[in-house]
Amino acid sequence: MTVQIAAKADATQAAREVAVRASHVSMDFGSGALAVDDASFELEKGRFLTILGPSGSGKTTLLRMIAGFQKQTAGEITINGKAVDAAPPHRRSVGMVFQKLALFPHMTAAENVAFPLKMRRFNPRQIAGRVDQFLDLVKLGGYGDRRINELSGGQQQRVAIARALVFEPDLLLLDEPLAALDVKLREEMQLEFRRIQHELGVTTINVTHDQREALVVSDNVIVMDGGRIQQQADPVALYRAPANPFVAGFLGLSSFVEGTATADGNLKVGDLVVQGTAARRFETGAPVVAAIRAEQIRLAGTREALAACDMTLEGRVCDTIFEGERQMYVVEIGALCGATFRVYHHDPDSFGLFRVGDPVALGWNRRDLKIFSPAA
Amino acid sequence: MPQIPSTDDPQTTFRYPLRWRIMDALNYGLDRFWPARMSPYTGWALIMPALLLVGILVLGLFEMADSSLHTLDRAIFRPSEAYTLENYQAVMESATYGRVVMRSVFAAGLTVFFTLLLALPYAYIMVRTTRSAVRKALLVTLFLPFFIGQVVRAYGLLIILGTNGVANNALGLVGIEPIRLLFNFPAVVFGLVQYMLPFAVLMLAPALTAIPRETETAASSLGANWLQSFRHIVLPMAKPGLIGAGLVVGTLSLTDFAMPAMLGGGSQDFIANAIYDQFFRTADQGLGAALALLLVVLGSVIVGVVIALFGAGTLGMGSKK
Ligand SMILES: Nc1ncnc2c1ncn2[C@@H]1O[C@H](COP(=O)(O)OP(=O)(O)OP(=O)(O)O)[C@@H](O)[C@H]1O
Ligand SMILES: [Mg+2]
Repeated sequence: MTVQIAAKADATQAAREVAVRASHVSMDFGSGALAVDDASFELEKGRFLTILGPSGSGKTTLLRMIAGFQKQTAGEITINGKAVDAAPPHRRSVGMVFQKLALFPHMTAAENVAFPLKMRRFNPRQIAGRVDQFLDLVKLGGYGDRRINELSGGQQQRVAIARALVFEPDLLLLDEPLAALDVKLREEMQLEFRRIQHELGVTTINVTHDQREALVVSDNVIVMDGGRIQQQADPVALYRAPANPFVAGFLGLSSFVEGTATADGNLKVGDLVVQGTAARRFETGAPVVAAIRAEQIRLAGTREALAACDMTLEGRVCDTIFEGERQMYVVEIGALCGATFRVYHHDPDSFGLFRVGDPVALGWNRRDLKIFSPAA
Repeated sequence: MPQIPSTDDPQTTFRYPLRWRIMDALNYGLDRFWPARMSPYTGWALIMPALLLVGILVLGLFEMADSSLHTLDRAIFRPSEAYTLENYQAVMESATYGRVVMRSVFAAGLTVFFTLLLALPYAYIMVRTTRSAVRKALLVTLFLPFFIGQVVRAYGLLIILGTNGVANNALGLVGIEPIRLLFNFPAVVFGLVQYMLPFAVLMLAPALTAIPRETETAASSLGANWLQSFRHIVLPMAKPGLIGAGLVVGTLSLTDFAMPAMLGGGSQDFIANAIYDQFFRTADQGLGAALALLLVVLGSVIVGVVIALFGAGTLGMGSKK
C-alpha cells in the first residue's frame, strides 16, 4: 500500500517537470486571419495532450511549429527548456507520426523502424534487437520482413508509431494519424496509443478533430477554434465545465437558448426566467446564451413525472432520431419563444414512446444549464 | 420540382444546346459504325495504328537484313546475287568499326552519367521549390532548347567553343592561351549532355513529384540530414525515373548522328555516322545495313539487360518485377 502511494507521489513529482512550453505563439501566413493566434500552454513530462478542434482551426500549424518544421511568426516554444529551433530538424529529439504516415515504401517494416537508429549511429549490433523490441511493443512481432504495401492500414499505423518511438524521443507528436481508419480500428488504435504511452511514459501531443478520441486518450485537452486556444483542461473538467459556448457545442451534444441575464444570475427568455448557473456574474439585462447537454435533460409525458427536477417545461416533439443505443428527441418549447432542445433517451424499453407532435415535458437541474456570454 | 421543357410544346420550343446535339449525333454514328457487340475488340482497334507503324518499321528491318546479306560488287556497283555473311565479317574484323562501336557505347554511358547527375538536382529543385516564379523560370529554360533543334544547337556550340568563341575569350581574360575545345571526344559528350538534359529532366520530374514531401520531412525528423535523406529516401524512391531517363538518354546518345558529326568534325564518328557514310558516301548499302542491324541489336541488348536487372515495373509499367 505505502509503496504504491510513494510511487504515486514520485509520479506527480516527475510530472511537475515541464516538457513543452509555448508562450504567446502566433503564426501569420499573410492571408488575413492568423492561423495560430497567441497560443500559450504548458505540458508536463510524461503527459498525453490532445489538441482538439474543427478543420482549419490551426492544429496542424501549431504541431508543425512544435516539431520545428515551421517557424512561428511570434512567441516562443521550448522543449525541455531549449528553444525548438536551437538545433536543425534532424538533431532534435522529436518523434512524429504523420497524418499520411509517410512510411518509406521501398523498405520493409523492420527497415523503417531501424532507419532512425541508423541515422543516429546506434551500435549496429544493437539495432536488430531494438527493432524487434519495438515491433513487439506495437504487436507486430514477426511482421518485420513485410514490405509496407503488404501491411494493412492498422499495421502500417503501428509501424509508423514504432518508427517514431524507437529512438526514445523526448516528445512524440501525432498529427491525426487515425483519421483515415474506420471507426472500429480507430477506437482500437486509440486504446493502443494509451497503452504504449503509459508503457513508455513518453510525453505526447496528439492532434485530432474527433472529440471522442480526445476524451479517451488524453490526460489533458486543448480545444482550438479559429487559431485560438479556447480551453485547456483534463477531459472530465472539459466536459463538465466548458469555458464558453464553442466548447460546450463542440464536445457532446448541447442545446442553446439565448436571453438576457437576470439580477440573481439566471436567464430570462421573453417573460420566462430559466434557472441556470454561470461561472461569472453578468450585468442585469446583458445578452447571454445558455447551453445544456442532451443527456442532462429529462423527458416525460407530464410535468408531474419530473418533480425531482429544478425546472420543468412543456413542449412538443418535432423530430425523433433513432441512433441505436439511444433515441434522440428534438423538442420545441413554446414558452421559450420556440427554442428547440435535443434530448437523449437511453432506456431501450421506451424507444418510440413519443411520436412527432406529441406533447411532452422536459426537466433539468439548474447546475446543468450553463450560462455564458455570447460567442464573440 | 423543376419543369422539364417538353420538345413538342409549340409555345416553349426547347432545343438542346448545339454541343449536346453534336455529341448525340456523334454517339449515334458511332453506335452504327461500331456496334456494342464489337466492344471486345475496341482495344485492338485503338492499338491498330500504332501496330501498323511498328509493322512498317519491322518490314524495313527485314529489308535491311536482306540487303546486309549481299556484298557490293564493285565491278558493276550492284549488290551480289548470292547470300553471304561477308559484310558482318568485314565489320567484325575492322579495327576502325570496333573503335567506332566502343566510342559510341562509351560516349552513351558517359552521357547518361553526366546527364542524370545534372538533371536530378534540376528536376528536384523544379519539383520542390515553393516559389512559383522559380518553377516557371526553370520550366521555360527547360523547354526553350526544344524549339531550337539539335543541329542549330550544335552549331551554336561550334560558335561558343570555337577558337575565337566565347569560351576561349573568357579563358583569355584570365590569361589562358586559347585551347582547342572542339572536334574531340569531350566536345561530343558535352554536346550530347547539353542536348539530353531536357529529356532527362522531363522524365525525372514526375518520378520526383511522386515522392511526398512529407516523406522527406519524416526522414529529417527521424534524424537524417539532407544528404542522408537524399541517399536513403529520394534516390531509391526515384529509381524508376532514373532508370527510365537513363534508358532514353542512353539509346538516343548511342544512335546520335548530329553531335559527333558537327562537334566531332569527322574524327569522332559514332555508329550512325559510319552507317551514313556507307549509305550516302561509299554507297555500300550492304555494309551500311549490317552496321545498322548491329546498332539495333546493341541497343536492344542494353535495354534488355537493364529491364531484366531492374524489372519492367521500373519503367512505370504496372507490374512489379
Ligand atoms: N502553408 C500555408 N500557407 C497559408 N495558409 C496556411 C498554410 N497552412 C495552413 N494555412 C491556413 O492556416 C489555417 C490553419 O490550418 P491548419 O492546417 O493548421 O488547420 P487544421 O486545424 O490542422 O485543420 P485540419 O483538421 O483540416 O487538418 C487554415 O486556415 C489554413 O488555410
Ligand atoms: Mg491538420
